[in-house]
Amino acid sequence: MDREQKRLLKEIMEISFVLVETSLYLDTHPNDQRALSLHNTYSQKYSELISQYENRYGLITNTGISGYPWNYINDPWPWEINFDIS
Amino acid sequence: MNKTYHYDKENEWILARAYVPFQIMNQVFSPNEALKNGTLFPELYRPYELKPNKGYGGAYYG
Amino acid sequence: MWIYEKKLQYPVRVDTTNPTLAAMIIEQFGGPDGELSAGIRYLTQRWTMPTNQAKAILTDIGTEELAHWEIIGTLVWRLVKDATVDQIKGTPFEAHFVNHGKSPFPHNAAGEAWTAGYIQSKGDPIADLHEDMAAEEKARATYEWLIRVSDDPGVIDTLRFLRQREIVHFQRFGETLRIVQEELDRKKYY
Repeated sequence: MDREQKRLLKEIMEISFVLVETSLYLDTHPNDQRALSLHNTYSQKYSELISQYENRYGLITNTGISGYPWNYINDPWPWEINFDIS
Repeated sequence: MNKTYHYDKENEWILARAYVPFQIMNQVFSPNEALKNGTLFPELYRPYELKPNKGYGGAYYG
Repeated sequence: MWIYEKKLQYPVRVDTTNPTLAAMIIEQFGGPDGELSAGIRYLTQRWTMPTNQAKAILTDIGTEELAHWEIIGTLVWRLVKDATVDQIKGTPFEAHFVNHGKSPFPHNAAGEAWTAGYIQSKGDPIADLHEDMAAEEKARATYEWLIRVSDDPGVIDTLRFLRQREIVHFQRFGETLRIVQEELDRKKYY
């Protein structure tokens, strides 16, 4: 996996993680407006990053639009990527 | 520190029940820091300090 | 239903080949306080939760635990994938290897297969939420023991992440207990 792809994937992982944390927090604090607003901002960013990644490098979920041939199956699969210290 | 969440204002602690205080979101880590630390929230960040093993307990007792 | 995202939750780095360590890490793949137990436990308890909020938390944390199960499986796999048979012989992983080759399999470090006996779903929301809080503490403690015996820096880094998640989950289950308790008091369920 080249450097730029790994960098973009790492950024997606970071935003995705923020969304996990905001989701769990909102599950127990559904009326916290600041948290909701933070979540929605990052959700927007996440959609954009996913779009970027999928267009350039292939699908993250199998519901996306793929080029030819079907690229969802392409390597590397997640357990095959070694993330260097960065 | 955290403001008091409305649930915690009751002050009616009933016997034979367990109570965990509510977190109130205050500051948050940046996405990069959050992923590295394992949480978005500084008040929930409890890194494991390796102390000499006394043979019992974990992070909180040594 | 479940959607799979083709990425791990955490950027896992494994620096060494170490079948012995893999045999220990597998404790969280198929052991009583591991990620599979956690995921199945929470997802099983969802049906009898009385509040929308509790259904959401059990769904979301249960789902996250399956993502952690994937991370643990990856750690085990990466610790043994380049091992020669000679590197495996004489280690605790040899017993696993003769049954499963290098394939991660859900059993604990002592070799006991995963069982639903490791989990409980009582159908009583108060009992279930206390079980969940206990589960998170047991998982946290297990990660601390594992951090102590690990000598691969990349593995330790990932274990620290997973341990921190347990602390956050405990907080959320604790909050859920408060909300459910208040709801049940109001409806005088008992």
